[in-house]
Amino acid sequence: MRQTDTIAEVKGAVKSFAAPEGGKVRALDGISLEILHGQFVTLLGPSGCGKTTLLRTISGFEELDAGEVRIAGVKMTNVPPHRRPVNTVFQNYALFPHLSVDDNVGYGLDVSGVARNERDRRVNEALDRVGLSGFGLRKPDQLSGGQRQRVALARAIINRPKLLLLDEPLSALDRNLRQTMQLELKSLQNDLGICFLFVTHDQEEALTMSDLVVILNKGQIEQTGTPEELYHQPATPFVAEFVGDGSLFTGRIENTSDRPVLKTNDGLCLPLGRDARVGETATLLLRPEHLRLAPDQNDESLGILEATLEQSVFHGAIRNYICRLSNGALLTVALDASDTAYKRITTGDQLRLAYPRNLPYLIKQSGNGT
Amino acid sequence: MKRSWFRHLLSLHGILFLIFVYAPITVVVVYSFNSHPVNMMIWKEFTFDWYWSIFGFPTELNEQTLYVESTDQLLASVKNSFIVAFSTTTFATVVGTSTALALYRYQFRMQSFYRGLLYMPMVMPDIVLGIALLVFFVTFGIKLGLMSIIVGHCTFLVSYVFIVVTARLAGMDQSLEQASADLGATPWTTFRRITLPQIMPGVIGGALLAFIISMDDLVITYFIAGVDSTTLPVFIYGMLRRGVKPEINAIATLMLVFSFVIASLGLYLRSRK
Ligand SMILES: Nc1ncnc2c1ncn2[C@@H]1O[C@H](COP(=O)(O)OP(=O)(O)OP(=O)(O)O)[C@@H](O)[C@H]1O
Ligand SMILES: [Mg+2]
Repeated sequence: MRQTDTIAEVKGAVKSFAAPEGGKVRALDGISLEILHGQFVTLLGPSGCGKTTLLRTISGFEELDAGEVRIAGVKMTNVPPHRRPVNTVFQNYALFPHLSVDDNVGYGLDVSGVARNERDRRVNEALDRVGLSGFGLRKPDQLSGGQRQRVALARAIINRPKLLLLDEPLSALDRNLRQTMQLELKSLQNDLGICFLFVTHDQEEALTMSDLVVILNKGQIEQTGTPEELYHQPATPFVAEFVGDGSLFTGRIENTSDRPVLKTNDGLCLPLGRDARVGETATLLLRPEHLRLAPDQNDESLGILEATLEQSVFHGAIRNYICRLSNGALLTVALDASDTAYKRITTGDQLRLAYPRNLPYLIKQSGNGT
Repeated sequence: MKRSWFRHLLSLHGILFLIFVYAPITVVVVYSFNSHPVNMMIWKEFTFDWYWSIFGFPTELNEQTLYVESTDQLLASVKNSFIVAFSTTTFATVVGTSTALALYRYQFRMQSFYRGLLYMPMVMPDIVLGIALLVFFVTFGIKLGLMSIIVGHCTFLVSYVFIVVTARLAGMDQSLEQASADLGATPWTTFRRITLPQIMPGVIGGALLAFIISMDDLVITYFIAGVDSTTLPVFIYGMLRRGVKPEINAIATLMLVFSFVIASLGLYLRSRK
């Protein structure tokens, strides 16, 4: 298969639930999405934005009100879950408690009547792949959380699905194990060449693992893009706030002494790069790494902000300085923790912060900004 | 210390409770081995004779003191009880389990009404149910006999099985069935390989409960048993009306042992996951 082959496609998916308290919840509100061969796609969004619902419509446990799901070009409407060429790693793993690890992993082969030899070979191979050879005789309740997670993974890949759906598979693991598993998942995906559709509400996880990230909000797609695109060119203020750290300033672009600045309602004046279009309303995104302490000499290419240091937080290689601006907004500056020049800064100090005028990203206001 | 004083009180409470529950049963068991023929409250000596006599073996006991006139009658009633209990258990288990599954899986109108209907027989007074069944059978000209007892027992034992299996289903992780379907299992395979093993302890528990209750039921059976279809409890009740005799202790002890075996079996099967 070529890299550009579409494995799965969702078109105009709409799904509402009748809320018990009356009215309807639109869990999916016109979602369209395309997954190409070999891609690792992540659905990222806040709780309740419809991530699980989207997965369940793809695996067939939820019927769409409108729109369609296609897998490998075949329309999936009215195809029951057990005939869809996708497999799922459930959020709570859903391992069969009465079956051994071996039988759990082999379940998909057993129900489709694969011959004993072939079955055993593939089960061992799958267990091997997730580093659990020798655990075949255990019952799920004799495993640790991370091991259960691996069994769920082995069980889901044994049928060699076209698409693997993973619903927050790492959320129950502690931070260290989670990071190990992130890497393992990624390399597993590379080895197998299966498409992964991965759900998480952890933005760090999404950025480290994915080829493509889909940001969902209230049943709609805010933006689809590579992790770099989302980080550096967020399409909406929602994305900017959800992905990475940073502060947002919304205002009108005006000309001051022949250079564009962003004037906010509460009186801040933020210098912008040359290409800013005067007269528009826009949102400026300042990430912690954009900001430095301002040099003494004047530099036209820098935007300067006056701020008071409120707190400094140690983060290993960097130290975050949380500053308050004249309008009361908070701004985080990330500085090299090993640089002794910053040692003298203490809480309450007045700081002059600088950012390169051309660097920060301007989000155009397109009517429906949040 | 105040605490230990309290603990002693608690132990005392426990001991008194156990005595309260088990003393009468112990008396029955002990006196089933007492050879005093007239007043069974006076201990004479240890004997197995009452056991022999209920099964019709010759004993050294004076014929006068014997009470079960015909061992055949007793054995016939035991046989009836078993026929009723096995048939009822089979039917109630299948129907009760399927009903529980249906109500668990599907959403439909008046669902809670159906659920309520199924709980009803639990709270319905036995005597009312007995009379109602009798009136029903007579009205529709159904002959009273083993069949009417089986039907009568099923009417309320289906509920018992339903309730036990429903409790088990409520504790089952719904995503297990979805995981099975997700891995390519047809609904039937999913039921056979995932759902059934998961609810099996409930099904077995419900079946044993139904069996014991059916074996043991007196009030309802009393109303709907025909002349030639006496079950063991009805038979014993008939004996009692002519006075308490030592053999009853022996019969009671045997029933106790039987129930104990069934209950242990249930516990054993439950503990085996
Ligand atoms: N069966 C249902 N009945 C009614 N509402 C539902 C049902 N399932 C989901 N919803 C609603 O649909 C919306 C989306 O739910 P969904 O489970 O897809 O969220 P999610 O993005 O997976 O959230 P989380 O990150 O918390 O898992 C929520 O508002 C939820 O309340
Ligand atoms: Mg979810």
